[in-house]
Amino acid sequence: MEFKLEAHRIVSISLGKIYSARGQRGGLKLHKNLLVSLVLRSARQVYLSEPGCPPEPPHAACGPPEEEPPPCTTVWAAGEPPPPPQDEAARGGPRLPGADCEGPRSRRCCCGCSCCCAAGGGEANPADCATAGAAAPPPPHCPRKRSAGERGQAGSPVKKPRREVEDPPPPPPGEQEDMDTGNVASLISIFGSSFSGLLSKEPKGRRRAPLDGSETAPAEAAAEPGQICCDEPVLRTLNPWSTAIVAF
Amino acid sequence: MEEDVETRKISSSFLRDHSYATEADIISTVEFNHTGELLATGDKGGRVVIFQREQESKHQPHRRGEYNVYSTFQSHEPEFDYLKSLEIEEKINKIRWLPQQNAAYFLLSTNDKTVKLWKVSERDKRPEGYNLKDEDGRLRDPSMITMLRVPVLRPMDLMVEATPRRVFANAHTYHINSISVNSDYETYMSADDLRINLWNFEITNQSFNIVDIKPANMEELTEVITAAEFHPHHCNTFVYSSSKGTIRLCDMRTSALCDRHAKFFEEPEDPSNRSFFSEIISSISDVKFSHSGRYIMTRDYLTVKVWDLNMENRPIETYQVHDYLRSKLCSLYENDCIFDKFECVWNGSDSVIMTGSYNNFFRMFDRNTKRDVTLEASRENSKPRAILKPRKVCVGGKRRKDEISVDSLDFSKKILHTAWHPSENIIAVAATNNLYIFQDKVN
Repeated sequence: MEFKLEAHRIVSISLGKIYSARGQRGGLKLHKNLLVSLVLRSARQVYLSEPGCPPEPPHAACGPPEEEPPPCTTVWAAGEPPPPPQDEAARGGPRLPGADCEGPRSRRCCCGCSCCCAAGGGEANPADCATAGAAAPPPPHCPRKRSAGERGQAGSPVKKPRREVEDPPPPPPGEQEDMDTGNVASLISIFGSSFSGLLSKEPKGRRRAPLDGSETAPAEAAAEPGQICCDEPVLRTLNPWSTAIVAF
Repeated sequence: MEEDVETRKISSSFLRDHSYATEADIISTVEFNHTGELLATGDKGGRVVIFQREQESKHQPHRRGEYNVYSTFQSHEPEFDYLKSLEIEEKINKIRWLPQQNAAYFLLSTNDKTVKLWKVSERDKRPEGYNLKDEDGRLRDPSMITMLRVPVLRPMDLMVEATPRRVFANAHTYHINSISVNSDYETYMSADDLRINLWNFEITNQSFNIVDIKPANMEELTEVITAAEFHPHHCNTFVYSSSKGTIRLCDMRTSALCDRHAKFFEEPEDPSNRSFFSEIISSISDVKFSHSGRYIMTRDYLTVKVWDLNMENRPIETYQVHDYLRSKLCSLYENDCIFDKFECVWNGSDSVIMTGSYNNFFRMFDRNTKRDVTLEASRENSKPRAILKPRKVCVGGKRRKDEISVDSLDFSKKILHTAWHPSENIIAVAATNNLYIFQDKVN
């Protein structure tokens, strides 16, 4: 069990390093970030292979939409030029709980751009995605963070702790460890398996650190986030972690 | 790319021993020239300071060959890459001297992106008695000149000038970590994380790419180049080390692009030492050929290894630098110390190797006697001209007097850069923003 906690801690430290590396002077250091990503993968492997790893949370109903905007806006405020926030809120509003969770989610998965995060019942469609994606090239971190924040509220067991931690300022990463460590598995699987995206899609050595490689073109990135997004039950429980990332 | 041949006057003042440590003063590279007469340091602020050894004189025997400031100049400035929205640091990553071929000295200095060739020359005479201008430099009216004279050279106070003779730019997408002058003295190489380029000193607008390990799909990236060096005698041979703890030796005669190595040096991993951080600590931070050219030395986070070029499957010698840190890797990962890149050096006869550690400690290993010593570079703990006292780190149990426990080591005081005089027992040790020069005691 202590290996899992250590792996958990290492994962959060590694994520913090990657996040803070984005703003450092001189551009992204390829060597250091490669090493950090290797550590992240090792920690994830240990975490997932440990017996007693919590089972994936059951597919739950989508949560009320009004909880959606805060994590997203916080994420945007973390320094990235956001695609129109108004659209997010708008799309977030009319999102229908319940039955439509499956549908929008799968649609979201196919299009890798940021507007997909809005799973509003009938609103999000590939056409919108394409336009919005082309209009505002999604900032590196955001698509995954946003989807995490959004889908997270669907899981009822974690709604409460998430509301608590959302009050500004977000709690320091240390406190996150008290939360359901099931989220770690989800996050690790997301970051771990697509982590190589950190280094990908760098046209001519551009150093921005996309977590999902969606920098160059939404279409190009479609395949990659698509694989991850489809891991539905996993993504639902990610809200505490989205806040953790924000805290970094 | 136009070459900037503007002459610059240099003030020979060097700001040392600050009571506060400004980041720009942190020394980032130290290198003796081929005779040991000059010692160059580069810092984070892009400056180069060159020290020159005093001529030994009978009148002041106690000042045996001390190093004094010879020249200071600004080698690199911070730049901004507008296309990529990136700032390019002016920190000097490496300095390499060229062998001296005339009265002037030449060195290469590099930051993350640009290599520059600097000429350092002395001027101790100046011409006087021009016809068309007077001593102040003002032009004279030609119609007022009634007689001609020949200008003569008169002695003046010694002035040391540094001029940039070549600028080798725009050849590296990633950060340059090494430069190495070839033994043919006509070419040199520069290595970044994924590529190595071969340059001719005379040509600045193009270079040959001789190693390229960038995968077609960057998601498949697993290792980067961490250091590279030419063989000291064979101008066709070079080595480069990787973040996976491997060294490749390449022969430029086999093909233009040396992606396929001639030799591959790797030690199998010890499974009992496996941890989350095994990959990080196996990353090689420095690789150096011995002066003889028979051996290479590599430094990874916890050890220094000596390899025989004829044996690829394991090193012939392994020295533990600070194995007591092995149990602290997680904390060192948290505070980023695990990413520190220590360098290593040979002495002139290849019998002793030296590398740095934390708490301003540095270590020397005698390859013949197998003895090692830990010394400290600090003004508080040693007076000038006093013999350095060996230090010991206590790893557990009872701490003896004069021993330092692992937990009280200062990890902000790290010695990453050291240099050894090519023929004498004189070492230069860079401790953050201070430079220490130690010599053998002579009676």
